[in-house]
Amino acid sequence: MIPKLEWSALVQAADQLGHREDLPGELVPDYEKNEDFLKKVHRVLLEVEVIEGSLQCPESGREFPISKGIPNMLLNEDEA
Amino acid sequence: MVRYYCTAGNGMESFLVEEVKKKLAARDVHQIPGKVLFSSSATIHRVCDLKAAERLFLLLKQDSPVGMSTHTSPAKTASVLRSRLLGDRRQWLSAVMTWSRLQGELAASRNAVTASTTHGVREKGRGSERQSDEGKNCRQESRKRSHSFTAEESDEKRQRGREQIRRHALELDKDDDVRESEEVCATYSKKELEQNVESCSKNMDDLGEDAPLESVENVSFRINCKCSGSLSRCVGAQEVSKVIGAGLSKLLGWKADLKNPKLEISVFLSDDYCLLGIPLTRLPLANRSYIKSTGLRSTIAWAMASLAQIQPGFCVVDPMCGVGTILIEAAKEHKAACFLGVDIDDGQLQKADENIAFAELQSRVHLLKASSKALPLPSASVDAVVCDLPFGRKFSTRVNMADNLPLILGEMERVLCVGGTMVVLLSPQLSCLLKKLLSQTHSGPKGNKEDESQTFSSLRHQTTLRVSLGAIDGLIHKYIKTPD
Repeated sequence: MIPKLEWSALVQAADQLGHREDLPGELVPDYEKNEDFLKKVHRVLLEVEVIEGSLQCPESGREFPISKGIPNMLLNEDEA
Repeated sequence: MVRYYCTAGNGMESFLVEEVKKKLAARDVHQIPGKVLFSSSATIHRVCDLKAAERLFLLLKQDSPVGMSTHTSPAKTASVLRSRLLGDRRQWLSAVMTWSRLQGELAASRNAVTASTTHGVREKGRGSERQSDEGKNCRQESRKRSHSFTAEESDEKRQRGREQIRRHALELDKDDDVRESEEVCATYSKKELEQNVESCSKNMDDLGEDAPLESVENVSFRINCKCSGSLSRCVGAQEVSKVIGAGLSKLLGWKADLKNPKLEISVFLSDDYCLLGIPLTRLPLANRSYIKSTGLRSTIAWAMASLAQIQPGFCVVDPMCGVGTILIEAAKEHKAACFLGVDIDDGQLQKADENIAFAELQSRVHLLKASSKALPLPSASVDAVVCDLPFGRKFSTRVNMADNLPLILGEMERVLCVGGTMVVLLSPQLSCLLKKLLSQTHSGPKGNKEDESQTFSSLRHQTTLRVSLGAIDGLIHKYIKTPD
C-alpha cells in the first residue's frame, strides 16, 4: 500500500490536520521492516478521519468540502 | 462427509461450483440448472458462508426422474411416488439425525459469534445460555432432560432420534406470524441473531427454561414440493405433497403440520431428476447478516467481485456504488485490498456509509461524492473497476444512459492501470451499446479529424455472462486494460 501513496502529500495533510506527530518527512529506506514506522503510518492512514473539513487542490486552490466523512468532488458545469 | 445441495440464481451455478471447490474442498460436485450438489466435510459454519448460493439443503435423496405419463391413474401415481420417493425408514432417520447434529453445530458457532459481536444483536442472556446448553446436549446422546410426552413407541432408537429432533425443534420455535409456503421455519441460523429482522425475532421468554414440554407424539413436518417440466402436467405439487406426507406419517409416525412444523422437507421433481432435501437455514444464505440496506443482490455482487480477480494490495473502485453492495461483498472476500465507492447521490452515499459502518469495513472502504463522468482520480491509478450500471434509460433528468455510456466507460478506462480489470453489469439493451462502443477500432487513417467517435482501444473483452436478477436478466462483462 505504501508505494501507492504520494508520501509528501500524506505528510502535508497530516500536518495540516494537526495529526502529523512524528511522521517523517521522507520515506526511510527499508520502511517495510520498521515496526515503529509502520505503526505511525497505520495511525495516520486508518485512525485519523476527517469528518467535516475540506480538501484543497494544491494547483488550483479549489476547495472540495468534506461532510460526514465524505468529500464532495463534484465539479460545477463551468469547471468540467 | 455430508452431501448438500444449494439453489442458485440462473447464471450463478458456475460461480457456486468454483466456490464450493475452492472454499470447502467439495467432492462429487454436480451442477444442474438452478442447483449445485456437493459433498464436503467442512464445518457447517463454513458451508453457510458460501456467497454464490441462494439456499442450502441437506440432501435426502437424489435419483433419476419419477417416470409418469398424463394417463397414469391417481392411484398408480400415488403408488409410483411412494415407491420412488419414500425409501426406507433408516434413511430418513439417519438424515434427520445428521440434520439435528448440524443444527447443533450451527447453534454452537452462533453462540461463539454472539459472544464476540458488539452490536446489532438482540438476544437475552438467559436465552443464549439455554441455546448453548441445547447445543451441547444435542451432540451427546444423553437423555437427562425430563420430557413429558406420551410414549407409544417402545423402539428406543426411534425415541432417541425423536428426542434430539424435538430438542432442536423446540429451541427453534418462533412467534412468527408470517408463514409463506416456501419458508423454512425449523432452523435458526446465526444470521438471524445478527439481523434485527422483526419477522424472525425469537421470543425467548415464551419458551422459558423450565417450561414443561407439550406432549409431542411425532415430529411435525411439512412437505414443500415443486414440479417442473412436462412432469408438472402429469402430477401436481399438491398431489405429491399429500401422497408423500401421508406416506411419511405412516412410515415414521410423524405428524403433518402445515402451519408450524418443526421440519420442512423439500421435494423437487423435474423431467431429469428427483431431489429431496431438508433446508438447513431458515433464511437464504443470500441474505447477509452484515448488510443493512440492500441494493444489487449480494450473490451477483460477490460474483462480479470474484471476476475482477482482486489481489492483496489492490485498489478497487466502484464509480456508481449506490448503497455499496459490491464494495462490501468484495471487501469481505478480499481482506487485504482497499475500496473506493463513488456516487453522485447523497441519499445513496448516506446508506452506503451506514452499510460500511455496519459491516465494520470503515478502514478499507471509503466513499467519495463525484460524477462517474469526471472521476477525481489520477489516470492509471486503479487496479480494478467493478460497477453495476443503472438499468433505466434515464441517467439524470435531462440526459439518458445511452448518451452517457461513452463518457462513463472513458473514465473507467482512464483510471485503470495496464493489466487492470473492469467488470460491469448492464441491462441487455445497454450491453448491445457497450459491445458496439468497445469493438470500434480506429476508423480511417491517423490524424483524421473527422473521426469524432470515442474509441476504447485499450480495453480487451474477456467474457460476458448472463445472470438472472429476478424479474429481469443482466449481463456481466469483463474487460482487461491492455497497453495502448
